This record gives sequence, structure tokens and C-alpha cells, in this order.
Amino acid sequence: MLKFRPRSFLIFCWLGIALPGCLSSSQPDRPPGYLVVGLESNPTHLDPRYATDANSIRIGALLFNSLTRTDQNGNLQPDLAERWETIDDRTYIFHLRKGVTFHNGKPLTAADVAYTYRSILDPKNRSPKRATLQFLESVDPVGPDRVRFRLAEPYAPFLESTNLGIVPDGSRTNDGSSRQSLIGTGPFALEEFLPGERIMLKANANYWGGSPAVSGLIFKIIPDAMVRVLEFKKRNVDFLQNDIEPDMLPWLRDKARASIQIAQGTTFQYIGMNLEHPILKHREVREALAYGIDREAIIRHLLKGLAIPATGMLSPIHWAYESSVPKFSHDPERAKRLLDQAGFHDPDGEGPLPRFKLSYKTTNLDLRRRMAEALKQQLSEVGIELEVHTFEWGTFYADIKRGNFDLYSLSWVGITDPDIYFALFHSRNIPPNGDNRGHYRNPEVDQLLEQGRRSLGVDERRVIYSEVQKILARDLPYIPLWWAKNVVLTRQGIRGFIPYPDGDLISLKNVSLSFSNPEA
Amino acid sequence: MNRYLARRLLLFLPTLFGTLTLVFFLIHLVPGDPVEVMLGETASGTDKETLRHELGLDLPLWTQYTRFLSGLALGDLGRSLYEQDSVSRLVRARFPATLELTLTAMLLALLIAFPLGIIAALKRHSWTDRLSLLFSLLGLSMPNFWLGPLLIIVFSIELGWLPVSGRGTLAHLILPSATLGMAMAAILIRMIRSALLDVLHEDYIQTARAKGLSEQKVWLKHALRNSLLSVVTIIGLQFGTLLAGSIITETIFTWPGLGRLTIQAIQTRDYPLVQGCILVIATSYLLVNLMTDIVYRLVDPRITYGK
Repeated sequence: MLKFRPRSFLIFCWLGIALPGCLSSSQPDRPPGYLVVGLESNPTHLDPRYATDANSIRIGALLFNSLTRTDQNGNLQPDLAERWETIDDRTYIFHLRKGVTFHNGKPLTAADVAYTYRSILDPKNRSPKRATLQFLESVDPVGPDRVRFRLAEPYAPFLESTNLGIVPDGSRTNDGSSRQSLIGTGPFALEEFLPGERIMLKANANYWGGSPAVSGLIFKIIPDAMVRVLEFKKRNVDFLQNDIEPDMLPWLRDKARASIQIAQGTTFQYIGMNLEHPILKHREVREALAYGIDREAIIRHLLKGLAIPATGMLSPIHWAYESSVPKFSHDPERAKRLLDQAGFHDPDGEGPLPRFKLSYKTTNLDLRRRMAEALKQQLSEVGIELEVHTFEWGTFYADIKRGNFDLYSLSWVGITDPDIYFALFHSRNIPPNGDNRGHYRNPEVDQLLEQGRRSLGVDERRVIYSEVQKILARDLPYIPLWWAKNVVLTRQGIRGFIPYPDGDLISLKNVSLSFSNPEA
Repeated sequence: MNRYLARRLLLFLPTLFGTLTLVFFLIHLVPGDPVEVMLGETASGTDKETLRHELGLDLPLWTQYTRFLSGLALGDLGRSLYEQDSVSRLVRARFPATLELTLTAMLLALLIAFPLGIIAALKRHSWTDRLSLLFSLLGLSMPNFWLGPLLIIVFSIELGWLPVSGRGTLAHLILPSATLGMAMAAILIRMIRSALLDVLHEDYIQTARAKGLSEQKVWLKHALRNSLLSVVTIIGLQFGTLLAGSIITETIFTWPGLGRLTIQAIQTRDYPLVQGCILVIATSYLLVNLMTDIVYRLVDPRITYGK
């Protein structure tokens, strides 16, 4: 009879499985001169042809250069293109910078640029960016350092779409194994990509714009907000941007001796509404909701001042921002009057019965839940009862896309060209054809938006989008809440980082470290 | 025994089949569109339809299900829709980390529970018994998402003994496994204590004492061994709880395991990857329960499983 010892058996199992794992994947120490950045979520595709999530785009921008790049003031600047010419309203020629090489030493040519765009446009490659380049008729090299873009029709936002990372001609298309072999021309080269764990980049000593001051970057994925902060306190992480709970900032300043930079960002938080809803179709009701919300209180208490009240989608730093629009400060009495005017009287005066109920959908993130509770409380004071429903992201978003909501809250990140209004408010884009999820219809806005994407002059476009912003602030298909501020947390001894309004991390190439021992 | 094992293995397959069937239909019924995740929300309707057709997502659910089963029969778990990689490769890359964590948590739970449970029974109503009761209560009432950060603050930040998060060295394994194993240890302490106290009144214990065996031998050789049966059952059942709990623990400690991959797959409605993850998790659970039955026989030779 076999003599069984349960404990020995388990120890055997553990030694068999755990020990080899522990011994084989030893956690590398931080190499000297490397900066460690904490990230909340895993970037999924660093290849610029497939990158859609914010972290993938931000890290990708350190690996790949694009023809143009947006600077910290939101203006388009030359990057791989030294300059560009507008031949006619449908043809552009880009002149490439000379002496640029990829990380593998191969020189950059016009064929690489053409290949990048063509591979996105090829439906076989299933790039999520294909739809955004549908206006392109052709992209052709004209000699080794000139590329011609031919548009199907005049399209003003075209230049914005040239901020797409360039890959070498013949690069493999999307598959998991190609992750480790991404080659760009950027200030950093990919050293290691361990999905869900970390991404290591090493400085490109031959970078055409000058070698970065740090030896490399390590992006460490830490999903839990508190653990991210504790890793920072422990000095295992040197840099955090935005992935910080507002409540933790005072503690970080006092206990972790963090340097905190706060700069205005462009992320826009709003409440979306179903304009076909029998109650919400009344503009007075939408205005009452806007007057019933105390943004200042939510910003002060929940966001700890890390936002400013918004008047529309475009933030004050955007070239097309219009400040002369109707603004909705907290005014519960006015909200009540508007509801009375719309015929929604309070059935029992100051009593507990609401004028009407609306469902409000949000995600199950802690801050979003608390925000929903605050909104519920504030709107109950004007007689509107919010029924709050929280969902896991996938379910929530599917409902929003289908138009299955009364009210919901979401944010827009990285707004660049004002043509975004076309996607969100043109009647042609009512689902299932697009993202006009609230079913907003206004022929005047439709006409302006069509004009806006065809007009090539900035001044002309500014006038058009000024009018669009004024109309939308009156019609209120969205209730603007706030523009978030960017919060950058660095260890003392890190210098040179410039926060970008859209959260871009490109300025990490300019960062210098004045500490040598990470545990010091 | 061999026939029993063969029968259990035969039952193993329909259970697994049932689990996978349930998960297949549930994940397809939950709102959300993987094609939109892949192509982006601005993709044209034609592109979405083309991709849906290429992936076979436009086929009736029943046809998709039979395709999935035939792939599975050939050992093909398919390709992840979002990661664009083979599901087998993705799961293989993450599973060792989860197994390492759950087995260490189980081992740690046993190492804590056996001494404390035995001492609690030996010194009934003493301060050590009360201390073990307190430990059990704490272990059961502290959720992982609270205990994990607490352990990090004490052992990593204040004392500086252990790393905060990540996987790599043995030191990285201690806090996550302690977090995960705490609730199991708490349950086992109470189980071992009460099982030991139950057998103490049995005749064979009196006989052992009458034979003049030392109290230590009576307890460890006779009482403990006979009380193991119920404990082994709990260990088998608790393995499932450990696998489920590992999702939270992996998130807290940035542990690159299967739990985090499963959550990501569910969020992106990556159907093949969800199926692959569930297949591995369900198989592990069934295997552990099969092993529990085998261990019964080894712990108590009187148990037979029919001819």
C-alpha cells in the first residue's frame, strides 16, 4: 500500500510548478538610467496601424514618428515631413526629412510612408484605422523623399490624419508574434513587450532629433490604483500621469515627496441624452438638467479641483474654441421654472414625489458611481429622479451604441480636429450609421458641418465651428460637464517633462534623471 | 479503483462539455460586439459586415457552436479576436502564473491551518484556541481587495521586506499567496479543529490510549488521519474559490495570470479567448476534484469505489 502524505504531495506539486517559474523569470532590476512609468492598463497594439487605446497610441508615439505631430499647444508641426505643399484642394505633397533611419538602420524613404497608409487601407489587414482614412484616393511615392496624397474630395481634417506612425515597407501586419519586432524611427526602440506586465524601450542613440537623455523607459502595468501609488512611494515607479485617484494627491505630496504638475487637458466629460425620449425631447427639460447640476461642487469634492467646468466639447486651448455660448451655472430655481414651463409640474410641491424619472447609465468604476450619486442628489432637488444603473464597460458601451439609454455619461479624449462634430451631430450619423447616439437633428448644423470639412482655410473654419458651438450650446444634445486637468506625478530628481493637453508622453524623450540608484 | 477512475474520467468530459456550452451561449448573449472592438467604432457598416462574415460571427449561433466544438475536438482553440494571436499560446503563457499562485496559496493555507487547527483542538478553550478562532474570523471577514493593500502597506512600505507587486522571485510570491490563501486557511482551521474533536470520542482513540501510546502519537497518527477526510473535501472545493479569488489578487499584485486575461477577454467580448480561459479553469477545477477523490482512497483505505 502506497503511503500517502498529503503535505509532501502538495509540496512536490508546488516545487514542480512554482519553483521553475520563480527561477526562470527573474524580475530584472531596473537598468541604470531607465525611467519607470506606471500605467493602469495594458497597451494592446503598439503598431500604429492598429493602436486605438490611449496607452498604445502614447507609447507608440515614442517608437514611431509620423509625418506631422501636434505640439503642446495643439498646433501641427513637421515631424518626418520637413514641409508639405498643397498642390490643389485634393492633392498634397510631403517632403521627407533627410538622414532618418529606422531602428534597424534602414533609411526612411517615401516607399515606407506609402506602404504604411496602403496597408491600413487594405481591407485584408483589418486595421481599425481604415475607416478614418476613407477620404484617401491614393498615396504614392514621388522619388525617394517625396510622397503624394490624393484625396477623393476636399477634406480639411486631412492634415490631422498625417500624425500616423510610419512603419518600414513590408512590415508584417497584425499578429501576436509581430509584437516583439516593431521597428520605427522614434526616439526609443522596443526592447521587450510582456503583455500585462511591462514594456521596455531603450533609447535610440541614432535618433535624428538627438538621443534621449534617459537610457530607456519601462512601462509597468499596475491595474490597481492604490498599488500604483504604493509602488511610487516605494520608488519602484518614477512617473505617473493621470492614473491617480484625486483623493490620494495630498498624501502623495506629503508622504511620498512627489513633484506634482497640474496642467489643463482636453478630455471632455459630458452627459449624453436620448433626444427621442418623450421627456428629453423638450429643450426646456435639457436646460433644466443643465441648470440643476452643480458642476463646481462635483469638481471641488469628487475631483479635488482637477477639472474646470466645460461650456462645450472644444476646450479653451483649441484654435476653434468659442467662448460666447450660453453657459449653465447651478441654478435650481431656474431649473424648476423651466420644468414647469415644459409642463412637468411637481405633483406634491416640496414633497417626496418627483416630477418624472429618468434612467442614468454609467460604468462600475468607483469615481463614476460616486459621480452618479452626486448627480442623483442634485437633480432630486429640482424634482427629477435619476435611476442609476451601473454596468461593466462592455455592456454599458453596447447599450450606448444601440441608443438604449435616457441619460449616460462618458468622456471624449484627445479631441483634435473640430470635424468630430460631424461624426457626433450630423443627422447622417444617427445609429446604426454613426455616433450621433442621441439622434440629434438640425439641418442648419448639418449644413455647417458639411461646409466645415470642405473649407480649407483656418479662419473660415473657425467662423463655421463658432456657429456650430453656439447652436449646440442652445440645443443641448450633450450637457457639458468639465474639461479634466492632467496630473503628472514625478519623483524628485526628474526634470524636463512637459505635460501635453491630450496626455501625449512624447516629452519623455527630453526627461533627465538626477538620481542614479533607484532605491536611494 | 481503476474502473472508478475510468468512470470518473468519462464523467469529466460531459461536465466540461456542459460548462463550455453554458459559457459559449452566455458570452454570446451578453451585449457587446467584438467586431466593433477590432475595427473601431468609426468603421463602415460594410467593413464590419465583411469582418463579421470572415470570422463567422454572422452565422447562426448553433452553427458557430458546432464549429467551436469541432475545432476543440481537433485541439484548436482558435485565435483571439482582439490579441490576434493563438488562444492556446495566450493561455499557455498565463496559466503557469495562476497555477503558481493558487498552489502556493493552498500550500500556505495548509501550513497555517494544520498547526493552528491541531493546537486549537488540543488546547480547547485555551487562549491559543481563542487566538485561532480570532484568526479564522479575521481571515474570513477580510476581503482580498482590502487584505492585499493592507499587507503591501505593512510588509512592503513600512517594513520594506517584500516587493509591492509583480512576479519573478520567491519574494514576489509571498504577499499575493498570503492574500489569496488567508480565507482558505481560516476555513481549514475551524474544519480541522472540529473534525479532530469529533474523532476524539471514537473508540479507537480510547483503544490507542489504552495501548499506552503517547498523547502526541494518538493525536497525530490516529485522530488526525481519521479527521482528514472532511478536510480533504474542503480543500478540493476551496480550490475553485482560490481560482476565482485569483482574479482579484492578480489585479492587486499585478500578477500576470489567467484571471486578468479572462477579465480582459470578457471586457473585449473576445469569445474564443473567453472559451479558452474557461476551458483551462474548468479543467483544473475538475482535475483537483478528481484528485480529491483519489486522495480519499489513500487517506482511508476502507473507502472502495465499487467493483
